[in-house]
Amino acid sequence: MGDTVYLAAAYGVFWLVSFIFIYSLVGRQRSLQKDVELLEQLAQDEARPE
Amino acid sequence: MASKAVLSQQEKSTASAASGLSWGAVLTVTSGILMLAALYMALIWAPDATNLTAPAERYAQRIFYFHVGSAWLGFLAFIVAAVASILYLVTRRDKWDIWALSSVEIGLAFFTTVIISGSIWAKPTWNVWWTWDPRLTISTICWLLYVGYLMLRGAIDNPDRQARFGAVYALLAGFSVPLNWMAIRWWRTIHPAVIAPGNNADESMGSFGMSANIQTTLLFCVIAFTVFYITLMYHRINLEQLQRRVDTLKQRLLYR
Repeated sequence: MGDTVYLAAAYGVFWLVSFIFIYSLVGRQRSLQKDVELLEQLAQDEARPE
Repeated sequence: MASKAVLSQQEKSTASAASGLSWGAVLTVTSGILMLAALYMALIWAPDATNLTAPAERYAQRIFYFHVGSAWLGFLAFIVAAVASILYLVTRRDKWDIWALSSVEIGLAFFTTVIISGSIWAKPTWNVWWTWDPRLTISTICWLLYVGYLMLRGAIDNPDRQARFGAVYALLAGFSVPLNWMAIRWWRTIHPAVIAPGNNADESMGSFGMSANIQTTLLFCVIAFTVFYITLMYHRINLEQLQRRVDTLKQRLLYR
């Protein structure tokens, strides 16, 4: 193994965990956006006169 | 009635998102630049530690900057969670529960990198991936305690009980942070205590001298990680607030 392999692995882990965390935030944001759109649609249907 | 509530909440949410956009963007760009600068300083700008002769050990020493930065972020996040939990128990305001939960999630993510990067650094320095040293053992307990916090919250359905139990738990778990910080000062350990008056260079393995440029790089990394934490908190808190609003609206629509 090369001398820099430990350094690369440690920094790789740091960036990987950071990106996974940020990606999970984005994923939850997208899912919430869908919920908001659904609620908006429900509200509009309810507000529409019969 | 419910439709009006939905629309007004939606309008409020959109308005708050629009006014918060600029702050979020500024924080995100600033922390991105700072983290890239910290990476440059840690890998290129900082000098080699003079007392480490083996090339693998010398390169691995550069793990130090992000290892300590992540540890600082984790400790800060857990302390913020403990303080927010006290504030929640005193005021019973939902805001503090959101702060505590967001902070623990962020802290746990970065404390995971501390443990993994520490293990990777240990191999070329101590010649083992892991040893049950006081600092490493307490770090593992600390990590498990906060995994337990998320599991506890996940196991309780009632939001009020979830917040109350979570606050008491986060407050108690917060004591693991000063214990973890002091572990390398109170007990004989091979983990270096580089930031300490009269450090434990005699007992520790892989200890190195802190030259001026090493200190500058470390300080810069700590600042970059602090800004990164604030940015993540900003986004995570906004997300949790939106999540709770959506949950409330769903409940209203379901039970009207």
